[in-house]
Amino acid sequence: MHAAFPRVIAWMSFIQQREVEMREREMDDPLVLYGNRFSSRLLLGTSRYESPRQLTDAIGVADPAMLTVSLRRQLSASKESGQSFWDLLRETGRVILPNTAGCLSAREAVQTACMARELFQTKVIKLEVIGDEVSLQPDPFGLVEAASELVKLGFQVLPYCTEDWVLCRRLMNAGCEVLMPWAAPIGTGQGPRNPRALRELRERAPEIPLIIDAGIGLPSHACQVMEWGFDAVLINTAVSRAIDPVRMASAFASAIKAGRAAFVAGPMSVQEEAVSSTPEIGRPFTSGSIRICTSGTC
Amino acid sequence: MFVIVNGDNHPLPEPPTLSALLARLSPLGPFAVAHNEEFVPRGAYDACRISPGDRVDVVHPTAGG
Repeated sequence: MHAAFPRVIAWMSFIQQREVEMREREMDDPLVLYGNRFSSRLLLGTSRYESPRQLTDAIGVADPAMLTVSLRRQLSASKESGQSFWDLLRETGRVILPNTAGCLSAREAVQTACMARELFQTKVIKLEVIGDEVSLQPDPFGLVEAASELVKLGFQVLPYCTEDWVLCRRLMNAGCEVLMPWAAPIGTGQGPRNPRALRELRERAPEIPLIIDAGIGLPSHACQVMEWGFDAVLINTAVSRAIDPVRMASAFASAIKAGRAAFVAGPMSVQEEAVSSTPEIGRPFTSGSIRICTSGTC
Repeated sequence: MFVIVNGDNHPLPEPPTLSALLARLSPLGPFAVAHNEEFVPRGAYDACRISPGDRVDVVHPTAGG
């Protein structure tokens, strides 16, 4: 046997132990949505992948808490819908979060949510009511109307909203226990457009889970919002339209974990003036002298 | 006489119920239905009567963000 072999085994054992510890730490800090606990803080969209295999591989490395899906009229030969897509979803074993994407009124959104509830056998719904077809900006009025109705119907509503505080407060008053503010318009990849307002939202609503949805383009964007204390991030296009979506899914998973760990660790406060991190005492070539105590009495 | 299914004309079935229409359409895989833009629960297909010009949407699970 090679002399270094036991050391390699010991090192691998150490790594495995650390991985177990990290897993346990994640379970100690779960994402809680409507009473359901998740170890992952990444939600993954299922759209615009090159192939079902690519989507499956991305799910495998991203380890998402939930997968978002939608409802559409059946298109012939589509790989992203129908029975084969259904089978793929079931095989992942992940929690499914249907959306009401594309709905332009509260009524459309409520009816779509009802169809999703029957089809996916779930009462969670990612509520989208679009108010502008250019920016895909949420319609705040339709959103509150639809959320109020869906809560009455027994849904657990996760509304896709802006960072507007009054809108968010209205949605909470309507019974939403989770909010999904955008970072930027859907599919743009611009990253947080209005960091100050997002951070103010986090400060004004410290208890409610806030999931950043839409507009994230890079793992650094995701890490940034997690460092600000947001609870999770929903990613789709930034993964599926990357040149290597599976590798990008892994990068996002790492970034979200890093951002969360940094938030929990408590970042230092920003200083106006430079502060040397190396002690000034004992620096050579200075004019003063320092007496070194060797007796232990000074 | 026609009903509009997913935007296309289809002959009105006999009897004129949603369940008769769906039996003729035989949608592939899991689906849910709206009649004149209102969700129809699975257990109500027999009782849901359809008239000429009515709109029926049959939707399936699909990828989404």
